[in-house]
Amino acid sequence: MSGRRYNTKGINVLEVNSAREAHARTVHARLPVNQQPQQQREFAREQIPVPSRRVFPRPATATPRHVCNNPNNPPCARCGTTIIPSPRATLPLEDCPSVTIDNWTISTRKRPILNSQEFEDWENNRLKGLALPEMIFGNNYVRIENTRDNWSLEFNALDALKHVKLEDSGIRVAYSQKWINSKQEKHKRQMPGGANFDIEESSLKIAHQYDWTYTTKYRGTEEGTLRLQRDDEASLPIDKLARPDNILFFDDMILFEDELADNGISMLNVKIRVMDERLLILSRFFLRVDDVLIRVIDTRVCIEFQENKVLREFKEYEGAYKDVILRHRSSHSHDPKAALRDSNWVVQNTPLVSRQCESLAF
Amino acid sequence: MFDLDRVISLLRQGRHITEETVYALCLLSQELLMNESNVTHVNTPVTICGDIHGQLHDLLTLFEKSGGIEKSRYIFLGDFVDRGFYSLESFLLLLCYKLRYPDRITLIRGNHETRQITKVYGFYDEIMRKYGNSNVWRYCCEVFDYLSLGAIINQSVFCVHGGLSPDVMTIDEIRSVDRKQEVPHEGAMCDLLWSDPDDVDTWSLSPRGAGFLFGGQQVQEFLSRNGVDLIARAHQLVMEGYKEMFDNGLVTVWSAPNYCYRCGNVAAVLRIDDDLSRSYTIFEAVQPQNDVGNTILPTRKPQMDYFL
Repeated sequence: MSGRRYNTKGINVLEVNSAREAHARTVHARLPVNQQPQQQREFAREQIPVPSRRVFPRPATATPRHVCNNPNNPPCARCGTTIIPSPRATLPLEDCPSVTIDNWTISTRKRPILNSQEFEDWENNRLKGLALPEMIFGNNYVRIENTRDNWSLEFNALDALKHVKLEDSGIRVAYSQKWINSKQEKHKRQMPGGANFDIEESSLKIAHQYDWTYTTKYRGTEEGTLRLQRDDEASLPIDKLARPDNILFFDDMILFEDELADNGISMLNVKIRVMDERLLILSRFFLRVDDVLIRVIDTRVCIEFQENKVLREFKEYEGAYKDVILRHRSSHSHDPKAALRDSNWVVQNTPLVSRQCESLAF
Repeated sequence: MFDLDRVISLLRQGRHITEETVYALCLLSQELLMNESNVTHVNTPVTICGDIHGQLHDLLTLFEKSGGIEKSRYIFLGDFVDRGFYSLESFLLLLCYKLRYPDRITLIRGNHETRQITKVYGFYDEIMRKYGNSNVWRYCCEVFDYLSLGAIINQSVFCVHGGLSPDVMTIDEIRSVDRKQEVPHEGAMCDLLWSDPDDVDTWSLSPRGAGFLFGGQQVQEFLSRNGVDLIARAHQLVMEGYKEMFDNGLVTVWSAPNYCYRCGNVAAVLRIDDDLSRSYTIFEAVQPQNDVGNTILPTRKPQMDYFL
C-alpha cells in the first residue's frame, strides 16, 4: 500500500484491494508456473477472483487422493477443487496452507520475524544463554503428520536453535588476531599513565561463550511412539524424485538468519515439495564465515505415501573458505564471491564429512 | 553542469543516472563533506534515521512521514547501501539532498560504507548489473571515505552508527581520529561503526573474536563524561523500529521496514525537539504496487523448483 493511505480517513477501497492483491500474489505463488500468468491477468482485470471462471486441467487420475485443507488457499491445480479465496485485508499476512494425501497431512506457516516481546521471551526463558540470531522466523514451521499412526515431524526455529552449543565454537573471524593484538598493544602502551584506555585485561577474553555461528545439527522435531531408526544402507529414491511429477504443494521458508556482524552468513532454510506419490523436504543450514570456512548441513526427508515409508538423510559438508573459492572456475564469471552465495554450488564444491540415514515404515 | 532538481526527480523514480552525472555528484559531495568535522554539530529540531539499506521506496516514505527535506532537518546514521535493490539511488538521493540543502541533512558513515563490505553484500553487484563496470561503485566509495563518524545535537544527543569505543572516551578524542580512509579492522573508527550494546558489565570481546560489546556502565560513563543525555545509534535490526536501553541512555533506531523484503518489521525515525523531547514515527514498508512504480520489488512468492 502506498504511504498516502496514512492521510486518509475511513476505509480506503484501494487499500483493501491492494491488500487483496498482495494476498492473492502470495497464494498464487503456489500454483504451478504454467498457470500463473493466466491467473494473474485475470485477477488484475477483475480485482476479486471469480473461481468459477477458471479453467483447470483435468486431473491425471480419476479420483485425486489429496484434499486442500485451507480455504484461504487457491483452488488446487490438480483436482480443481474450488475454494473461494477470502483474503483478509490486513498486513502482515499470515499464510498457512495445508494439504492431505491419504493419511498424511502436510502444513506450513509463514509469519514475520519475532517481535521484541517474543524475542525477549526466547532469550530469557526458552533459549537461556544464547545470544539469539538477528532474524528469527519463530512462528514459521513445516509439519508432516501421519494421522493414522500418530507420528509427526516438524521443522521450526526454536527446536533448531536448541541444538546450538553454548560453548566456544573455536571459530574466529579472519581479522580476529589482528584486532586483539592492536587492543593489547594499546593497552600496554597506556598502562604506565593508565589514563585513557579504559579496558581491563579480561575485556580481551570472551565473556559469554556460545556458538556464534549458530551451527545446528537439527533434523526436525519427531513425535510419536514409533521412531526413525538408523539405517545407513538406505538411500533416497533420487530417480523418482528427479522425475518432473506434478507438484501439488510447494513452500520455501527461512527459520533463522544471522549476518554474523557482516562476516558472512548463517541461515537455516526449509523447502518442501509434495507430489502425488511422495514428498521431499530439504532443511539446509548454510554457514559462510568470510575468509575462514564454509559449512553446509543438509537434512532430507522423503515420504512414500503408498508404502507409508519415511526416509531421513543427514549430510554434513565442510571446507576452508580458500579451498572452496579455488574450485570456482568460470561458472560465475565476474565475481567468485557470487558463487559462495549460491548454496547449491557450494554443496557441490565442499567436501562431504559425514552422512547418516534413518528410516521408518508404518 | 547538471540540473540537481532534475537528478533528484529521476532518482525518486528509481530511474537511471548516467555515469558522468554520478561522477560529478560524487566530486561535489566530497568537497562538501571534506569540510565537515568528524563529529558534526546539529541543532534541534532534527529527525534521526537509522539503516536504509538500499530500500529507496521506503526512504521516500520516511521523508513523506517525517515532514520532508524541504521543512525538516535530518541525521542519517549510515548503512545507506547493500541488501536492498536500490542502494545507488538511495545513496545518491541523500547526496543530492545534501548538495541541495547542505544545512538540513547530516550523513554519518555506517559499517556498510566501505569497499570490502559492499563487495560482499550487494552494492558492488548492483553497480555491475546497472552499469556493466565498477566505476560508479568506485566513485561512491571515494565519497564514503569522507563521511562523518558522528554528530552531536545541541550538546545533548550523540549520534553514531554502531556504538562506543574504549579507544575514544570523549567526543573530542573522536574529533582527532583520521577518518579519511577505508574503515580499518581495528581501532577507534572500527569500534564506532561496529560495536554493539549488550547486557555486559564491562567492555567485552564478542565471541566472534573481534569487536566490542559494551554495557550500561560504559554508556553512563560516556554520557556523564561528555555531558550528554542520549546516545542514538542504528546498526541492529529492531522489529518495532526502535529500542531504548540502559535507563533510556541509549536508543537503537532502525529505518528499513520489512528488512531484506522478508522480515516483516516496521521502521522508525526519532525526532528530537527544541526541548529535547523525543518522539518516534513508525512506518511500514511500501507494498509492491503498479502505480508507485516499484513492481520489481520481490514479493514473498516462493520460486517453485524441483530441488533435490
